[in-house]
Amino acid sequence: MIYVFETMGTVVSIEPPLRVREIEAVFAELNERFSLYRADSELSRIADGSLSMIDASPELRGAYARALEWRALTADAFTPHRPDGVVDLSGIVKALAMDAARDLLADSEHWILNAGGDVLTSGQEATVGITDPFDRTRLLTSVRLGGSRRAVATSGTAERGDHIWGRGGFAQVTVVADDIIQADVLATAIIAGGVDSLNASTSSWDIDVLAVDLAGNLFATPGFTSAIASALVT
Amino acid sequence: MRRRAAIGSVIVSAAVITVGWVIGTVSSTPAATPATKLTNGTYAGSVEQTRYGPVQVELVVSGDKITDVKALQLTNAEQRSIEISNEAAPILRSEVLAAQSASVATVSGATFTTEGYLTSLQSALDKAKA
Repeated sequence: MIYVFETMGTVVSIEPPLRVREIEAVFAELNERFSLYRADSELSRIADGSLSMIDASPELRGAYARALEWRALTADAFTPHRPDGVVDLSGIVKALAMDAARDLLADSEHWILNAGGDVLTSGQEATVGITDPFDRTRLLTSVRLGGSRRAVATSGTAERGDHIWGRGGFAQVTVVADDIIQADVLATAIIAGGVDSLNASTSSWDIDVLAVDLAGNLFATPGFTSAIASALVT
Repeated sequence: MRRRAAIGSVIVSAAVITVGWVIGTVSSTPAATPATKLTNGTYAGSVEQTRYGPVQVELVVSGDKITDVKALQLTNAEQRSIEISNEAAPILRSEVLAAQSASVATVSGATFTTEGYLTSLQSALDKAKA
């Protein structure tokens, strides 16, 4: 059994359907506050100048502060600022919602949450397929998630580059980590910052990465390669 | 695993330094023991600045042999050691393709839009499990 709902311009699936109303509410609340597609959202009011950051809610300022921290940690490869200066938190909001959902599911043993292609799991080991950036009806490969490794985020230039500005030479980047916010932000940073961000990220964080360049060549960290291998065994 | 391998490589290079240090210490003792004779005991090496960061190892000598080498200090080498071992390297598509045969629980991909979702593999999976 699985529960599927639309939010944030994408689709979220929870398997099995645990605490679905509360999780749906978490996503809806963050979407309401941070969507730039809704003229009445708090972030849209920041963007149009009718609300100043100083007067913004603690939630908004908190999310912005986290995004700025990540900008500093990734040497600007991840940024909450659009080229036109508008504050756009879409690069972190979905992961914040997934992280909040994880807190709601803390008492549940086994579950899989997929929000628009970002994955968070708990309990039993799970095999996660990675889409082929050049043919998304196919899988490029699959990885085994278990132990402390619970989060997978994939960023690409193919479908929705709206929070990725600048081209780093990768068509798709998948990051496996313990934490979904870290995985999501670093996947975005590596897409934007290219090979420099890839090397900086793999040296500074305990993450596993699979990157596909624009010519289709693959690059994987040893941890990612062994996660593929363990998916093979099962 | 990979971190252990990286630490291992650091230890190997540091051990060379430290073995020299231990031998130096032993040979400076007044007894007429040959310079190469190792005295049983545990020896902490000095902190060495290596290109991987500061490293200190401990050698355990038993029966004229080094029986154990332990890392006592791998300060920022802890983070640095990820860099040594965690670099993304080219892999062949043929190395990853076979994994597809495994049944997957869910699919990770670049953020799909609501419209894109309809034709996605995740959508097919969700339908199958509904």
